Amino acid sequence: MLVTFYLNNTQVSYDVRPDEYLSQTLRSHGIKSVKVGCNESTCGSCTLLLDDKPVMSCSVLTASIEGKHVTTVEGIQEEAAKISYYFAEEGADQCGFCNTGYALVVYSLKRTIKNPTEEQIIDYIVGNLCRCSGLQSQLNAIKAYLKEE
Amino acid sequence: MAVDKKKLKVVNNKTHSIDGQGLMQGRSYYTDDLAEQNSLVIKILRSPHAFAHIKSIDVSEAQKLNGVELVLTYKDVPHVSFSRAGQGYPEPSPHDKFILDEYVRYVGDEVAMVAAINERVAEEALKLIKVEFEVLEPVLDFETAYENKSVIHPEDGIKEMFPIGFDPKKNVAASYEMEVGDVEKELAKSDVIVDETFYSQAQAHAMLETHSSNARLDTHNRLVIYSSTQTPFHMRRIMATTLGLPVSKIRFIKPRVGGGFGGKQAFHGEMFCALTTLRTGKPSKLVYTREEVFGASYTRHPMRIRMRIGAMKDGRINAIDCRSLSDTGAYGEHSLTVFMIVGSKVLPLYNKVDAVKFGGRVVYTNHVPAGAYRGYGAIQGNYALEATVDILAEKLGMDPKVLREKNSMKEKETSPIFEIMGEGTKGTAMIMESCKLPYCIKRGAELIGWDKKWPRVKVSDTKVRGYGMAIAMQGSGIPFMDMGSCSIKLNDGGSYNVTVGATDIGQGSDTLIAQIVAEELQTTVDNILIYSSDTDLTPFDCGAYASSTTYISGNAAWRAAIKMRERLIKEAAEYLGEKPENVEFDGKIFTSKDKQVSLYDLSVQFLYNKNLHQVSITESYYGHVSPPPFMAAYAEVEVDLETGEYDILNYVTVTDCGTTINPMLARGQVEGGIVQGLGMACFEDVKYDKKGNLLSNNFLGYHIPTHKEIHKLTSEFADSYEPTGPFGAKSVGEIGIDTPPAVICNAIYNATGVRVHTLPITPEKILKGIKELKK
Amino acid sequence: MKVNEYYRASSLEDAYQKLQASPKNAILAGGLWMKKMGQSYDTIIDLSKLGLDKIEDKKDEVVVGSMVTQRDFENSKIVSFLYAGAPAFAVREVMGVNFRNLATIGGSIMGRYPFSDVITGLLPYDVELEFYPAQKMSLEEYLNYKGKMNAILVAVHIKKGEGKGYFKKVKTTALDFPIVNIAVSKVSGEYRVVVGARPMVAARSYKAMEYLNNGGKDFAKAAELAVEELSFMDNKDSSKEYRVDLAKVYVRRGLEEVSK
Repeated sequence: MLVTFYLNNTQVSYDVRPDEYLSQTLRSHGIKSVKVGCNESTCGSCTLLLDDKPVMSCSVLTASIEGKHVTTVEGIQEEAAKISYYFAEEGADQCGFCNTGYALVVYSLKRTIKNPTEEQIIDYIVGNLCRCSGLQSQLNAIKAYLKEE
Repeated sequence: MAVDKKKLKVVNNKTHSIDGQGLMQGRSYYTDDLAEQNSLVIKILRSPHAFAHIKSIDVSEAQKLNGVELVLTYKDVPHVSFSRAGQGYPEPSPHDKFILDEYVRYVGDEVAMVAAINERVAEEALKLIKVEFEVLEPVLDFETAYENKSVIHPEDGIKEMFPIGFDPKKNVAASYEMEVGDVEKELAKSDVIVDETFYSQAQAHAMLETHSSNARLDTHNRLVIYSSTQTPFHMRRIMATTLGLPVSKIRFIKPRVGGGFGGKQAFHGEMFCALTTLRTGKPSKLVYTREEVFGASYTRHPMRIRMRIGAMKDGRINAIDCRSLSDTGAYGEHSLTVFMIVGSKVLPLYNKVDAVKFGGRVVYTNHVPAGAYRGYGAIQGNYALEATVDILAEKLGMDPKVLREKNSMKEKETSPIFEIMGEGTKGTAMIMESCKLPYCIKRGAELIGWDKKWPRVKVSDTKVRGYGMAIAMQGSGIPFMDMGSCSIKLNDGGSYNVTVGATDIGQGSDTLIAQIVAEELQTTVDNILIYSSDTDLTPFDCGAYASSTTYISGNAAWRAAIKMRERLIKEAAEYLGEKPENVEFDGKIFTSKDKQVSLYDLSVQFLYNKNLHQVSITESYYGHVSPPPFMAAYAEVEVDLETGEYDILNYVTVTDCGTTINPMLARGQVEGGIVQGLGMACFEDVKYDKKGNLLSNNFLGYHIPTHKEIHKLTSEFADSYEPTGPFGAKSVGEIGIDTPPAVICNAIYNATGVRVHTLPITPEKILKGIKELKK
Repeated sequence: MKVNEYYRASSLEDAYQKLQASPKNAILAGGLWMKKMGQSYDTIIDLSKLGLDKIEDKKDEVVVGSMVTQRDFENSKIVSFLYAGAPAFAVREVMGVNFRNLATIGGSIMGRYPFSDVITGLLPYDVELEFYPAQKMSLEEYLNYKGKMNAILVAVHIKKGEGKGYFKKVKTTALDFPIVNIAVSKVSGEYRVVVGARPMVAARSYKAMEYLNNGGKDFAKAAELAVEELSFMDNKDSSKEYRVDLAKVYVRRGLEEVSK
């Protein structure tokens, strides 16, 4: 079936199977920034923004996003670079596999909640697992990015 | 080659990881990102039984399915035993695995392989394979494995490469015994003896990128494999031997790796990709599902460790006896080496003993195989030793910090264990040229407020805070066995290509090797163009394991940079018509009296104008010692006495890893290790059902720490300089993971009086203990 | 999971007809556990065009469309006024934001999952489920309803009331199912006690409620009554005994909290 949606603000139409998931569709069309860590909505690596909200793309049927806006890290390159600066400042980046998901969640957080509390920040990012870092350095990096004007 | 740390400009200075930004921006650089678009998709049919013999297997229906290109069973693959462990040659692990076999030895073991045009067809084809199993009685309790009537490896053709105590008829993968002095005699002399047994679980690596590999033939019809691996050179060698190919026909490339932690120091799908591509001529790929990562790769070796320690009333520890039993699961990857580290990287902590003894067996069971996992052996041993030392301190009526200060390793001291025990073989004697453990203990105590708060502080009628500590050591590579190498090539314009075999698996070795080279050549990191881990293009390296990269590969890079510097000065001297000893080089300009030439000009001249030649250097390094990093760790936990639930309010570490080449990345290694260790100590439980099915096979059943569990980590480093390390560095990749089980165990005991002897330390176990104490 | 057809319904009647057409047809809610269960479907029916994603503030009740996401529910101002925010708090305990932006309130309820925090969090209150074709049923009745519900959940009606709620999820880590979850309320002077994930789906303890609502003041005794009445079991996450211990403590603490 043909599904038309906006991928980083460009309208695209992809022919997909009715049981195809968005992470699969995007990776098969060369959007390799979408990382699949568990493929069962538990790790958050495949997070992208669907109509500006972070969702796990391994659990979104592509057929269900007709007309919607999908943002991957390709669509927020400058912000991803900024976020990465703060991660590097804190030594928070290691293997990088969870980082694209983090970039999108953190980007969304900054635009959704003004001056979030620590509890709100943690609540927002807790769905993104990271096995490399001590997590604290990530949290510090994210706080620093959120403070940036 | 002692270096003044204060003069360093790149090393030991804050340096951003060189690939962090690109990865955050989503560049395609992980293994599956680089699979050929039209790769055949490989899926594995896995055993539903913990132990069975394949009576018959019929793949004809699967082969007929449109889109299926290849189906393989044990009848179709080379019958050559090998070890999947990515280790040096000859391997210290038993050769007890066939690519496919007529026996299956755990739920998840490989029965057959399908390669098809896409995932759907491959999965459909798996369902069409008809297998008749003769179900055998499995061994699911490792304490009953030895000489069990069920023999897990009854087959012919399996072997040890040199004596490792391999005795498959008794379900023994490896065994080991050592003794210094007479332990029983010393124990008998002791005023106080403690005798405690601890159990640790089969922790899962849970790296975010699942195991992944893919293959294609290049224009020379050579096999090119991308693999998410920690050991590309070992993979090439083992694959060549097993498939009967010359090494020259295989190229392994390690792209970015999404976390390894030892889990990628072994074969996963590489053999199947190779066979598929060799037999079909087509590119292929295999990406593990999360369930396969949990249920069909490797885990940490579960162990039972009995510690007996004898001490005198004044607190002098005079004897330690450590008996261990390790469960290697269905296959023996790393069975001996993990086991030996329980002794070799744990017991030397208390080096003033008159006698020390270590030994036991590694047994086969019908569980998911165990393999390498960060801190292997050390974390299990540390839990048992450091919890027992706390118990001893209580019996002696001593502060456990004081007991440790009195008995632990100090600078310029040694332990006889170093010479006796290596990894799989004999060890290497060494003196601790750098050991700031006394400082680490003292500083950590200050940071946690030990002297005022230990053992506990009451918060309310139902809440109490407990304080616990432990010390730990690791190593830095395996002496005389692990080798790393580095090539440096000068480009026009004065940049340098640096190629290393060293394997960056996320720990940041590309960045810190670039820093080492940049420091020596007095340039900046962005002038160092580093490329790593490609068996065709980079020089050899043993790979990322045994905390070796900073020390071994870093030393190789440092040596190469020093040679390059000497060479450049020689070249410039010749160019300027001067003697090398009169030429100064500041990274950009060569100066001799009144003459000058820039590196820029010199490099362009060599390639285009005058005396045309390529300037390049290759150096390699192997360790003659394995200087251990040391750590003291402390935790503050708050326990709810009514439910047993607890929060880890603060985890304090002070680490001696010599010079931190990259202070931020070093902290990342320590804290990342701590959090994984806390996962093992507190949350990560492994559950099987009675038939040997792994129940904790996804992130809903297997709980790794999240942002909500980690409240505060306080991480400091001791000022330390290791004379044999690059710019004074030792390793730091594993030391962080070692302490949490013991520290949390001790802290919980101090809070509640409950000693948990089986990991993980769950609220349920604590509450049960609290209720028993009340009785 | 395999699906032959993806169908976007144009009306509730359209969706209902499609649902009846085959036993292998199903309504798509958030789709999260549907994927995990890995079944095959002929047609899955999308309700996204039917306007079921609204939260309405009525005089006596809050009406939550079945397709409202967990995230929209927990963030809703209207919902935040309900019982001092206890139902919203319960929903916030489910996985991460990137999960709750997909999961729907309707899906959480219809699945009657034993691990549900949403159900436990709502069960102390007067909650009515509105189905198409027209039918109403209390949440509790639905939990006890035998067999598969063929009607489509349209909305969840949560009655307003004066009082406080309490919710506790005991878990190993944040991204975990509950070992046990407890919800307690005191609304217009009346106590309600719910224990879920025992590991069976949530249920009220009528014995504890009867004791408390007839003047019983000993919260520890009420908690004892709750664990006596409700059944508990072992599973891989916890023993039965530990669940009982936890339920006793948290029912008591919940009662202390809501009676403050």
